[in-house]
Amino acid sequence: MDAIGFAANIVYQFLTNASFLLLAAIGLVVILGMMNIINLAHGELMMMGAYTATISTHHGIPFPLAVLLAFFLVGIFGAVLERLIIRRFYGRELGALVVTWGISLIMGQGTLLLFGPFMPSIGIPGGSFALGSHSFATYWIALICISGLLIGALWWTYHNTRFGLMSRATMQKSAMAEALGVNTDRIYMLTFALGAGLAGISGALLAPTASISPLMGQQFVAPAFITVVVGGGANVLAGAVGSSLLLSLVKTPVGLILGAFLGTVALLLTALIVIRLMPNGISAYLQRFTERRVGA
Amino acid sequence: MTGMGIWRLLNGEEDIGQSPRFWLGAGAVLLALLLLPFYQTEFQASNAAYYLLNIPLALGLSMLWGYGGILSFGQVAYFGIAGYTYGVIAGNLSATSLGPLIGMVGGIVCCAIVGAIFGYFVFFGRVQNWIIPILTLVFTLLLETFLGQTAGYQWRIGTVQLGGYNGMTSIPSFQIGDRVFQGYWFYFFTLGLTLSAYVCCRLLVNSHYGKVLIAVREDVLRTEMLGYDIRVHQLTVFVLAAALAGLSGLLYVQWGNYITPSQVGLVPAALPVIWVAVGGRDRLLAVAIATYLLNWINYALSEAGNEYAPVIMGTLLLAVMLFFPRGIIAAIAELRRPKSRAAATVPAPDGPK
Repeated sequence: MDAIGFAANIVYQFLTNASFLLLAAIGLVVILGMMNIINLAHGELMMMGAYTATISTHHGIPFPLAVLLAFFLVGIFGAVLERLIIRRFYGRELGALVVTWGISLIMGQGTLLLFGPFMPSIGIPGGSFALGSHSFATYWIALICISGLLIGALWWTYHNTRFGLMSRATMQKSAMAEALGVNTDRIYMLTFALGAGLAGISGALLAPTASISPLMGQQFVAPAFITVVVGGGANVLAGAVGSSLLLSLVKTPVGLILGAFLGTVALLLTALIVIRLMPNGISAYLQRFTERRVGA
Repeated sequence: MTGMGIWRLLNGEEDIGQSPRFWLGAGAVLLALLLLPFYQTEFQASNAAYYLLNIPLALGLSMLWGYGGILSFGQVAYFGIAGYTYGVIAGNLSATSLGPLIGMVGGIVCCAIVGAIFGYFVFFGRVQNWIIPILTLVFTLLLETFLGQTAGYQWRIGTVQLGGYNGMTSIPSFQIGDRVFQGYWFYFFTLGLTLSAYVCCRLLVNSHYGKVLIAVREDVLRTEMLGYDIRVHQLTVFVLAAALAGLSGLLYVQWGNYITPSQVGLVPAALPVIWVAVGGRDRLLAVAIATYLLNWINYALSEAGNEYAPVIMGTLLLAVMLFFPRGIIAAIAELRRPKSRAAATVPAPDGPK
């Protein structure tokens, strides 16, 4: 029985880490893949989602509703940001990086001034159950399922809806899409809002597992960006899934044996090695691999 | 190289100021800086040294970002590495008066080595341009986390404790023989090093190396087709920027005699980018002036107990990126130029979408 518990624990840890990475990266991936904008305010958008969920739960709103609220609130905030600032930086990657960093600085420090350094966090919903001598939190298992569902929903949206079709067209060749009557300006705004909303939903979902502070966004920055960098830009959704699984494969054993910090260091080292071997990330490699298979 | 050759490099067109009027003004400012002890107290001179000591860091980032087209958010990592290395070496060798000198050399060498290893992976891996800032930022955050958890007696090197979040304290000041550099002496020491760093950078950007660097920024592929190994140029400028950031870190720990992991945190990491962007990233002198002024403003704000300082700095960055993408000080300098020149300087593209 304990052997099963042990094996289940390994799988559980592995999937927990992978879904954490995926959740941390998902909003970033959408914005980067569709718009070529590197959003350094991503961590702060997650922080905003976490604050929204925490504050509304403290006011008696049920947690699932609070998560949805975070999605819409942060999404709307993202749309406003895009209209006012981000859209001036299309096609200027480094400029966008710097300006989103400025936004992140203002958001982090502004939250510190508004809400103070700490906020009591909400407890992890759901209990836990034991298998042998190992215990498993129901909430994390729910998160694993939710992150899978989110990716599935995104894939479905981009391949089966009118919005998805128009955004993929905009991404491939915006001038052509525009000539065919797609309002690319609106697509960009909606995409940024979607990415921000996803960051908000991730922040809200991870809020019960984290300590709530204005600078909490920072802890998501490293894992989120490493996941995106390793994933690459060829096929962002597949890349994000692939890289979060690969990185979790590295992080889980290192983290279990050597502690959380060295687990994160292992992430960075893996990222350096992966981009040395595959400069365009896992997704480009996967794509080449599948193309070869199909071609043969 | 002949004297004329050096003058030609110094007076080149890749930085602000070629006219006799400019050099007259520069001479006057230099004189004012040299005569500072006559009209400022030792405390004020020490503050001025603090504003000055950040300039090498900013110059390095300007070389990297403005001239080389490589953005780094992680220059403070090298600042921290040099500071901690100096603290460890000088602290352990406190019995000899040579300790601080060895510490300075060790700090710079350490930065150069770390920068070279990091740069090797990044540039020889031909990592895409947008990934580099992210990797440097992640590196900085990891360094902060690592230094933060070094509390306790087991984290010591020789007799020096790393000290976790409280940081490393009682780091020795710089000294040569019996002369300890503090107060006015430290001010002149900083002024000398900062000025040399600036002159070296100015010579470099106007040299052949600088031209190739700018060519790499403008078009990587074309430069490569002309036969230059762009990876080597990118790596060397990255190492140079790391060493310059290290120089600032060394001066910082000698100035305050302490360093904490929060020096490599997210807010300090943002500041150099703000200085460089506000000044004008491809104009060294503009960067140096902006660094001095912004440090002064930042100090004045935080001295007044103003916790809005980081928000104000962030807003400044946003405003500059939106309305003065070439930098405020560079834009002011451009106003005074003849029309033909000003028209010739088109905004540097950040690369195709």
